[in-house]
Amino acid sequence: MLGEFEQLVLLAVLRAGDDAYGVTIRGAIVRESRRDVSLAAVYKTLNRLEEKGLVLAHVGEPTPERGGRRKRYYALTAPGRRSLRQSVQVLQRMARGLDLGLETI
Amino acid sequence: MTRRPLLPPPRLALWLLRVALPASEREPLIGDLVEELATTAADRGEASARRWFWRQSAIAILTLRRGRRRAPLLHPTGDPPMLRFLADLRHGVRLLRRAPAFTLLSVLTLALGVGATTAIFSVADPVLFRPLPYPAPERIVIVGERDADGTMSNVGFLTYRDLARDARTLDRAAAAGGWEVTLDGHGAPERVSGQRVSASFFSVLGVRPSLGRDFNAAEDTPGTNQVVILSHGLWARRYGGDTALVGSTISINGAPFTLAGVLPESFESVMAPGAQIWRVLGYDESLPYACRTCRHLRMVARTRPGITPAAAATELSALSARLVHEHPKEYPAAGAIVVSLGDAATRGTRPVLWAVLGASALVLLIAVANVANLQLARAMRREEEFAIRAALGAGRGRLTAQLLAEGLVVATIGGVVGLIVARVTLGALISWLPPTMPRLSAIHLDQVALAVGAGITLLLGVAIGLVPALRERRSGLSDSLRGGKRLTGGRRHLARAALVVSEVALALMLLVGAGLLGRSLVQLLAVDPGFDVGHLLTLQAQATGPKYADSTAIFANHDQLRDAIRRLPGVEQVGTASQLPLGGNVDMYGVSAQDKPLANPELAPYADRYTVSPEFLSTMGIAIRRGRAFTAADNSDAAPNVVIVSAGLASRIWPGEDPIGKRIHVGGPSGVWRTVVGVVANIHHRALDATESSQAYIPERQWPYADNIVAVVVRTHGDPSTLARAVRAAAQAVDPAQPVTALATMHQVVASSTAQRRLALLLFGAFALVALVLAVAGIYGVLAGAVAERTREIGVRSALGATPGAILGMVLLQGVRLAGLGLVIGLAGALLLGRFLQSLLFGVGSADPLTLLGVAALLATVAIAACLLPAMRAVGIDPMSALRAD
Repeated sequence: MLGEFEQLVLLAVLRAGDDAYGVTIRGAIVRESRRDVSLAAVYKTLNRLEEKGLVLAHVGEPTPERGGRRKRYYALTAPGRRSLRQSVQVLQRMARGLDLGLETI
Repeated sequence: MTRRPLLPPPRLALWLLRVALPASEREPLIGDLVEELATTAADRGEASARRWFWRQSAIAILTLRRGRRRAPLLHPTGDPPMLRFLADLRHGVRLLRRAPAFTLLSVLTLALGVGATTAIFSVADPVLFRPLPYPAPERIVIVGERDADGTMSNVGFLTYRDLARDARTLDRAAAAGGWEVTLDGHGAPERVSGQRVSASFFSVLGVRPSLGRDFNAAEDTPGTNQVVILSHGLWARRYGGDTALVGSTISINGAPFTLAGVLPESFESVMAPGAQIWRVLGYDESLPYACRTCRHLRMVARTRPGITPAAAATELSALSARLVHEHPKEYPAAGAIVVSLGDAATRGTRPVLWAVLGASALVLLIAVANVANLQLARAMRREEEFAIRAALGAGRGRLTAQLLAEGLVVATIGGVVGLIVARVTLGALISWLPPTMPRLSAIHLDQVALAVGAGITLLLGVAIGLVPALRERRSGLSDSLRGGKRLTGGRRHLARAALVVSEVALALMLLVGAGLLGRSLVQLLAVDPGFDVGHLLTLQAQATGPKYADSTAIFANHDQLRDAIRRLPGVEQVGTASQLPLGGNVDMYGVSAQDKPLANPELAPYADRYTVSPEFLSTMGIAIRRGRAFTAADNSDAAPNVVIVSAGLASRIWPGEDPIGKRIHVGGPSGVWRTVVGVVANIHHRALDATESSQAYIPERQWPYADNIVAVVVRTHGDPSTLARAVRAAAQAVDPAQPVTALATMHQVVASSTAQRRLALLLFGAFALVALVLAVAGIYGVLAGAVAERTREIGVRSALGATPGAILGMVLLQGVRLAGLGLVIGLAGALLLGRFLQSLLFGVGSADPLTLLGVAALLATVAIAACLLPAMRAVGIDPMSALRAD
């Protein structure tokens, strides 16, 4: 079972698609969760996910707006997709049929 | 979102990030922060953006202590280990298919090693490791009389009877003697060998006939002993497995015998290998050959439970002392010797088998060293592959597993081919073994041998895989990636060099073994047997059937045989005798002299009894030392009884005296006195390496009875083998019903008396040859590899002015050093092995300097020749093209 922040990061990588690197991943999480997460926290989690074999990293081209530094792109591996699907499905099943008063918010 | 940054990031923060962040995170993280700084500044203003940058940097520096770890290429959450191993195996097979020469060489080398070891193990297993195929085999013992010189001797019937009756440590006992018979009913006459045994014989062994019945005690008397038991094989082959025959009579030597029973198919005759028929002994004390000095029977017994052979020997020795006390003139010495049947049956062959088994193990070791060497060489060529895989995340364990899998694939194919080799060679080997080899019929490629072969194969796989894997572990992988064309070979060849050194050492050991055995055989064949071996043809004929009921008819048959053969062109002389020297017979009689009464019975000598036709001695070329030869007039029971003794017998009875005219008994203290008329040279009767025995020659018609089996010796003018066919035809024409067997030149008879040594030599020689070839291939391989790798270095050297001679010397020296070290280690090993071979050596010391130095010189010469080719190639390297290569 994935941690909450791990789920957020994996979903953000998925959302960013081909353009998933530090800035876009953190951007997606900040936008959707309205939380100001640090880039370091995102990196730390990505490192952990990479060690678990859930994401794969590759190095991209340097761009001028980064002062000529390379990006590190991420993508989900097959086990990464599987784990994420399981976690989300568990949440959905747990929530199904419960009146959480969500509509009233 | 891609706008040019409006403001530069705070320098101090950047510097801190660069210093504090782990290397892997530096570039992407700083890039991300710098990129976002622009957007943040656009949203919230510069000051806020700068604060944001500082805050993010601080969090990163404080929390991102640990860089990211490289993810493994095959992640651990992926395939389970077994699947991964199978993938490795598949990969191994693919790789082997891509290198057919390497694969073929490895597989053949291993097949040779595994095949030889498995086949030899199958031969040695029954003798060395397996218990006898009888219930409680450790309780079955052979009992012998102790001779004056402490050796074990057969027993006379009365001795057997007394010991069997009185011994408390023996549960039961039996006596057994040899029996050569002709089966003449149910098809063509056929000679088979068997045993005459006490009625209790099979119950001593713990075996019951599977058909019919065992012998019973009532049959074990002189008048009623026309009863036989057959081996299952003989019954099935000759008598068609006819169960109705059991209980009825069959014809043996022209007389009816009751077929009492048939032994189980699984019965193995350990005491008399090759025996197929057993007759009840039927002795009692009235028989002349049942005396105490008629020591021609072997006593076999089953001890009571818990009684060791040593304990039985103690009691039997005490009983023997009593017998000697009661019959002081009939025993040379007091005491009994008891050994287990297993020891007695296999003692003679154990050293040979250990030596040959050891030799095959050495060959296996060399084969493994060679294949490991090949793998190493290949591993070096694959260094870049391994480096790339390591760089992509393959762990050391992963690479080791891969190499192990490849080793296992090679070893398994080699092992399977090796078992086929073992099957084929075992068949050939068994036909090469002397028929007297103990437990011959128990030799076959069984589960034990297969398990041994499979076990060896598994070990080989691990060894072959581990050697390159260990080397890989030590060498830095990253070096290889950086373009491994370094200048010198250096220590990288250490592992291969060590393997080559051990190959040379092992090859030397085997060559020395073969050399020592070969020299022993040469020495042995140079021994003067006491007769003239050249131009002699020999055969055996048997007078069998009712028409040879009395001795007169048999003697007449012998006369006819000699006459018929003598008439053939090319035949110089013909003689007959009751036995042949080196023919494998033991027919010894006690000899007592009239003028030396048995005052000191311990000195009464035994002699081989030869009843001969008058021409036998001159036909054989046995030299007359004193007195005269036999004349035709001697060969008559009406003539005065005469005897010719060997020089050894004469000097034992009458040291320093002239034996001519002295009178002796042959065969116990009773009987007729025979006058010594001549003394002849000693002959080797039992074996060329046995000490010379004594002989007493008696004209055949002066012996109380005629021997059914007669050995005919034919002296020819030319090559005796060209006369073989004519001689056989002439002998057969005398009586077509008469079996004529064992037709051979005397050279062949002498040679077959050394069959065991020949086999050992053949195997050692073959193994040594294989070892030599493998070792030479090893030296060549290492040097060729080294030269190929040092092409640049050698180019530089010759560009700097090294002469071709210097380069040749440099490469040669490398090979000579390897070979020299191997030779030194091998010589030490050979000295050890020689001590092991001691019992097989004859006329040559185990540390024979001529053999050691000769073999070392041979190996050194061959090794240098193997070095020359790569050395010449090194000389031929063109410095310019070598330097331009990179």
